[in-house]
Amino acid sequence: MYFWKCWRDTRSFFIVFAIIAAVVMPVAAVVCVGTGLLENFGAEAFRSTFALIIMFVALALGALCASEEFAGSTIHFLFTKPRTRAYFLWTGWAVGCSQLLAIALVNWMAGSLTLAHYSKNPIHSAIFESAMTQQLAGAAIYGLYVYCLTYALTVVLRHGLRGLGASMAIVFGVPFFAIAVRWRWKINLPIPSEPIASLSPLTSNIIWLLVALVFIFAAQLVIERTEI
Amino acid sequence: MNDVAIRTEHLSKSYDGNHAVREIALKVPRGAIYGFLGRNGAGKTTTIKMLLGLTRPSAGSAQVLGMNVATERIAILQRTAFVSEKKSLYPSLTASELLRFSRGFYPTRSDRAAEKYSRLLEIPMQQRFAKLSNGNQTKVWLLLALAQGADLLILDEPTTALDPISVDQLMHVLAEIAVDRGCTIFFSSHQLEEVERIAEYAGFMDRGKLLLQSRLDDIKSEFRLITAAGNSLPAQTSAQVLSVGVEGNFCKYVVASDAQGFAAGLSRNGATVTDVAPLSLREIFLQLVQKEQ
Repeated sequence: MYFWKCWRDTRSFFIVFAIIAAVVMPVAAVVCVGTGLLENFGAEAFRSTFALIIMFVALALGALCASEEFAGSTIHFLFTKPRTRAYFLWTGWAVGCSQLLAIALVNWMAGSLTLAHYSKNPIHSAIFESAMTQQLAGAAIYGLYVYCLTYALTVVLRHGLRGLGASMAIVFGVPFFAIAVRWRWKINLPIPSEPIASLSPLTSNIIWLLVALVFIFAAQLVIERTEI
Repeated sequence: MNDVAIRTEHLSKSYDGNHAVREIALKVPRGAIYGFLGRNGAGKTTTIKMLLGLTRPSAGSAQVLGMNVATERIAILQRTAFVSEKKSLYPSLTASELLRFSRGFYPTRSDRAAEKYSRLLEIPMQQRFAKLSNGNQTKVWLLLALAQGADLLILDEPTTALDPISVDQLMHVLAEIAVDRGCTIFFSSHQLEEVERIAEYAGFMDRGKLLLQSRLDDIKSEFRLITAAGNSLPAQTSAQVLSVGVEGNFCKYVVASDAQGFAAGLSRNGATVTDVAPLSLREIFLQLVQKEQ
């Protein structure tokens, strides 16, 4: 029942972004037919739009899924239901996570099929190209990382906009900080959107995924101790 | 079977050194309607939050329906319905959707009861919560609590924003479920008339302390206003005498216990006792609070 409630709160957003994710590449392809742009820059455009959509959806869902649930005004109602606080936290997270992955899947399929359809060589499509798939998987993992960070901060701060603001500050601030440290002290700090040091992309992705989950566990520890 | 629905021992809560609740010892018998009275900021809501596990006590313990709040919170919430002081709910859900949402948490919930109370309270079930008037928002909270079929109802200022007719209906419903289902009702209020109407027991809170708790009838039969005339009448308050007022040759004593004994003592000392009158709940409450101050 709580899953239904979380879905109901975010379904409009999900449907709108699922449609955007589905049509963005086909529409771009139709517009560019005959110009050669698709053949030359289609894969690059696909990667960029995929990362952009996932990033935006991750930030928005992270704030949306937790803002109303853990806000001061309704939390009395929610936390006097016979379930643990962890149950509410993880259910809300699971709903947003499923929606984020569904939008990523829709965008990936629509983009891949579009490239495969318009490319002169159907085998040379994004679906079968491992480097491309790896980059998309990396973008999806980064999206998940951003989602978890935003969700955790929204829960801890119990306010959608504050959570979103804090998350954006971290997401955009950390790379600049890491670059500054690298430039000044020649120390390489890991940046979430990049592979970690000499580790393989797969291992790096797994580590970033675990870091993302740590945010949710941390939020759980905080919310379980919060006095309402 | 434990015959006490709520029992607290030395229950205390302080925020940054400020005592919101100080060592209170509540005892609410099972099946009783208990009015929890106090001014704004007396500590009623903090006590209720501790009973529901929303806030951890700084000291002391609480048992609800025979279970320890600190360790058996989920089991307690399964059998307890709650109406919050803040009557906010999800603005985009209709009353009907809120009922459906709530149903999933309580297997024992009765659809027939929900239908009955929604009709009785005249709630527009298909309207979004945000569009409802304050009174109707309160009614939705009450509906969710009443439909739950709980063994214990904890209501924090349940009549906020309700019109007199709705208050009347609510009082009637509460009395009915207490009698028919043996449901314990613990409700906080600063509306003394409401408590006087339906409560069997009352507890008076002020500045975090439980000043008095007893059967309402016992409270009313104990407290008396004694008017006496004479020379050298005692003018000090004590545990028995809550206040002394001098009007000309007359002294007015508010006595908390053994009024007859006190009046007899005055007579023995040469005073003329002109009147021994009962006090209303409002007067008793005011006297207790004034004494505390």
